This record gives sequence, C-alpha cells and structure tokens, in this order.
Amino acid sequence: MIEANHLSRTYQRGDGTPVTALRDVTFTIAAGEFVVIRGASGSGKSSLLNILGCLDTPSSGRYRLAGEDVSVLPDDERSHVRSRRIGFVFQSFNLLPRATAVENVELPALYTGAAPDRARARKLLERVGLAERAEHFATELSGGEQQRVAIARALMNDPPVLLADEPTGNLDSAAGESVMQLFTSLHEGGRTIVLVTHDEQVASFADREILIRDGVVASDTVRRERSPA
Amino acid sequence: MSAQRVVASAWRSLARSKARSFFMMLGVIVGIAALTALASVGEATRQETLRQFKRMLGTFDTLTIRPGAGSTRGMPSLGSVEPSLKFPDGPAIAAGVPGVKRVALVQQAFDLDVSYRDATTVPLVLGVSPNWADVRGESVASGAHLSEEDDRSLARVTVIGADVARVLFQGEDPLGKVIRIADVPFQVKGVMASRGAGPGGASLDNMLVVPVSTASKRLFNRDYLTTLVVQLNDANASDRVAEDVRALLRERHRIIPPAQDDFTVGSPRATLAQISKVGTTLSKVVTGVAVIATLIGGAVIMSLMLIGVSERRREIGVRRAVGATRADVMRQFLVEATLISALGGAIGILIGAGGATVGALLQKLPPAYMWSMIGGAVALSVAVGIVFGLYPAWKAANVDPIEALRS
Repeated sequence: MIEANHLSRTYQRGDGTPVTALRDVTFTIAAGEFVVIRGASGSGKSSLLNILGCLDTPSSGRYRLAGEDVSVLPDDERSHVRSRRIGFVFQSFNLLPRATAVENVELPALYTGAAPDRARARKLLERVGLAERAEHFATELSGGEQQRVAIARALMNDPPVLLADEPTGNLDSAAGESVMQLFTSLHEGGRTIVLVTHDEQVASFADREILIRDGVVASDTVRRERSPA
Repeated sequence: MSAQRVVASAWRSLARSKARSFFMMLGVIVGIAALTALASVGEATRQETLRQFKRMLGTFDTLTIRPGAGSTRGMPSLGSVEPSLKFPDGPAIAAGVPGVKRVALVQQAFDLDVSYRDATTVPLVLGVSPNWADVRGESVASGAHLSEEDDRSLARVTVIGADVARVLFQGEDPLGKVIRIADVPFQVKGVMASRGAGPGGASLDNMLVVPVSTASKRLFNRDYLTTLVVQLNDANASDRVAEDVRALLRERHRIIPPAQDDFTVGSPRATLAQISKVGTTLSKVVTGVAVIATLIGGAVIMSLMLIGVSERRREIGVRRAVGATRADVMRQFLVEATLISALGGAIGILIGAGGATVGALLQKLPPAYMWSMIGGAVALSVAVGIVFGLYPAWKAANVDPIEALRS
C-alpha cells in the first residue's frame, strides 16, 4: 500500500543553509497493517508524515501510494489523492469550530464532487459512538469526543489509509485509551493505519514500529504477527 | 463542489459570524444606499423640473420669439425690451412661413398694481391675442376666454389667474366685477384654471390676461411686443420653421449682413434638452461620489477578508488536508466576498429606495426610481465583491497547509 523508496527531505533555513530532515528513508507498508512511526521531537517523523499524507513532496526518492507514484504529482492532483486515499487525524483535532459534528464529518465529501451524504456522516458518528452529539458544535464537545468526530471525518470518503499524528497527545489517558481502541477496531476492519507518536504506550497498540532518529530509520520491528483480516 | 453547495457553504460561514459579516457589508450598504437614494431623488427632481417647465411653457410644439439679440435672462418686460418686435410681425409669420399653425401676440409687464376695493396685488399682466389660450392649451375654471370681438373692440375685460382671484376676491365670485389695472378699470370675464407650479416651484397662477390691443392702446401705450408664440403643425419641424421665421423677420426688419438679428428665436425643446443635460451632469457627480463610497466599502471587505484569512488558516489547512484544491479554497473565499457584497448591495438598494421614497413624499413629489441606476448598483456590488475578494481569496488559496496545521 505504501512504498517509501530512499526518501529525503531537505529544507532551506532562513539564512539559506540547507537542513536535512529525512535521509534515505525506505520501507514498505502492506495493506491492512497497523504501523507506528515513533521518534523524538525533531527526529523527522513529522516531515515523513507530511510526505506520506501527500501534503509535501520528497526532495529526492520515490513515494508510491496504492501503486501510484504520488511524489511527482502537481498540487491539485495531490489534493485529489488526499481526498480519496487518505484520512487525516491530528493531535489538535482540527475540527471547524463553527460547524456541527455532523458538518465536520461531512467536510471531506465536499471535495469529491459526489452528492452530499448526510446519512453516511451520521452513520460514521454512530460508529464512533457519538450519534447523539451530531448537532453539537465542535466547541461543545470534550477532547475525546472531538477526536472521535475527527476520526469519523477521516473515514468519510472511505480512504484505504488513515494517517494519525499524535492522536492522543492532547487527551487524558481514559480518552486516549478509547481513541486507541477505535483505531484498533478500524484496523481489525481492514484499514491501513499509520500512526506517528513519541509515546511508547501508544506504540504498543500497533503491529509494527518504525523508529526514526535523526532523519533515518533506526529500527523496524514487528511486534506481533498481523491479525488475519 | 457544485455551485449550489459552494454558495450554501459560504452562506453558513457568513451566518455564523454575523457581526463580522455585518461590518464587512456596512461600507457597501452605505455606498449602494447612497447611490440608489441620490439617483432616485435626483430622478424625481429632474422629472418634477420637466413637469414644471412643461406647465410654464404650455406646449412643446412652439417657438418663442423675443426682441433683442442673444437670449435675455429672466422675464422680459415691456419697459426693458428693445422695441423691435411689432404687431404686424405676427400675422406675417402666420401667413408667410409654411408649417405654422398660429401665432399668438404677447405684451407683458410685471410691475403694475392690480386692485379690487382695498385689496392690491402685483401680478404678471399679459396682453394677449385671442388665440393665446388655444396655443397654450389653457382652460378657464369659470367664465370665458378672451374673444376676437374683445380684441377688435379694445374691450376692457380680463381673465384672471387663480392666485389673483383668491387674493383680490377672497371667496367672492369675481365674474362681472370690475378691477383696476394701473388704475384702468377692467371687467373680470373669466377665471383661469390653476396651472400649478413652474420652475423653482413658483406659482404660475399669479397672473391675468387682457386683450393685447386693449393692453397696447389703453394700458401700456406701446406698439411693440415682448413675445411672439409660434405654434407649429409638426413639432419635429421646429428647426426648419425657426430658420424660415428668422429669414422672414430679418427681411421685414431690413437687417442686412453683417448686422445681427434684433430678435431671438427660442425653442422649448432646446430649453428642455438643456434641463435634461443639467440633470445628467448632476447625476454623474452624484454617481461618482456614491461609486467611490462603494469602492471604499470594497476596500473594507478586502481588509476584513485578509484578517479573516489569517484567522482561518487552520480551517484552510484542514480543508486542504481533506482534499480541497487551491481552486476550491479560492472559490470559497471569493464566493463569500461576493455574497457579502451582493447582500450589502441588496440591503443598500432597499434602504436607498426607501429613503428616496420618504424624501420624495416629504417634498410632495411623486417618487421616481432610476432603474438603470439600481441595476447598475446591483452589478457594482457584485463586481466589488469579486474584485476586492480576489486578493484575499488568492492569499487563502496559497496558505501552506503544513504550516497551518502545525501546533
């Protein structure tokens, strides 16, 4: 599903000196895997996530998503790839504060050209256990609830891949636990999940852990055999 | 995204920040309201001015010939005009120029005391030929018009205007009574129907008419005229007839080039064209001011939109992350700006038209709306939204989603 081939990413600093965030990163993630990318702050894991999420392109190397080389696509085609293939979950939830839960869930469908499907949005809210909160504004929900709305939103266009960036980073341990269980059950439903974290506790939910240190893959460990899909 | 959904989504976004939306609209509301109100008041005033001139001139199918070269300002009076226009000039024009229906002769003065018992007034006194009422389409409220017989016999009879009747008779029936015009007794033969207000709102009823022959021999003792009113068969022929009249009068007055005319031929149509032009100039100035106000409204929209874009960076980042292209984001902000501006324009038009209606009613004028201007205002407010929304929308489209989503 995800093939990273010798990915490098170099930024220009303000004074023009180049900074290398990723260097020669190579790995493959199969469909249905639940992988954690772990690393300390500044390790390059966010740069990697931006590339995997098609928000950024590598300075060199190839990135293939579902067989398609997306590292060479222009901006608007990468938007379409994000729309169809990737669901994002962020540390700070990033719901639209002036929209209701169900409107937030619906948001990705706005950019597919398909007819609006509120019924599907409601079903997804039900799936994350928030059916009765559908008409609440994002600001009226607790952190754990907001993150579950965000997961429902990530599922709206039924993407094969979910990318999560520290999804429990802003949650207390109980809410974090319930969010991780949600990811686990989505994984059991066959979805490919890539989760970025610095937290070993969170990493223990995944099948496999890729450790990033100083922009390179330091280790790639299978924690447990893939559960049959 | 379908157009309908783009608009619905923009509408939701605006509806959820009502205060900001209102302030964004305010400039456009004020500008468009001013544009609509001023244009409509201007139009009502212009139409009223035209109506006033029409009442003063009676008909538009006439030429007015006055003594002296160049257009005289103000109202000519027997005491102040050149004695160049003689009585026989009238019949000569009627007989000698094709296309002339009839020619009315007028001697006028506005410095004569007119009294009845203790009441005195100083109206416009007109000596007129019997066909004057027909040329002007005047009618009497009571009694009768001056007749050919009155003129022939130098009768001391008069037909008085409504104001004169009111001031001198105070409710008494004026018919058959004798009034004194510059101490000469005249019998009231009729009272004219009210003619309403002329240019500037002054009454056109403060006047009386006597037979022109009587006026010339018994009142003024002058053998020249202040005005010849030439009525045409066809108003469209006025230029040609004016030229023929001029040639005829030059010949009769024995004027040889390079000597100037000792008379002036004027046409109400020319006067009307002048008035319309004045109205147009005025409305151009008014329009300019209101357009500038609207453009300032556009600038307000632009600056508030720019603030909005920086406040909504995270929202933009989220939308980009879930699949919005740059064009989607650009369209969203552009539609929001246009919607705001068009809505402001619509509110402005309602306020402006309402204000113009109240203004017209306060001036006791029938309200008039300049529909072309209102249509222009709609187009202007939409255009302002698009033009001033373009830069903020472009800024929004170029927000870096990675930056916007960080933290």
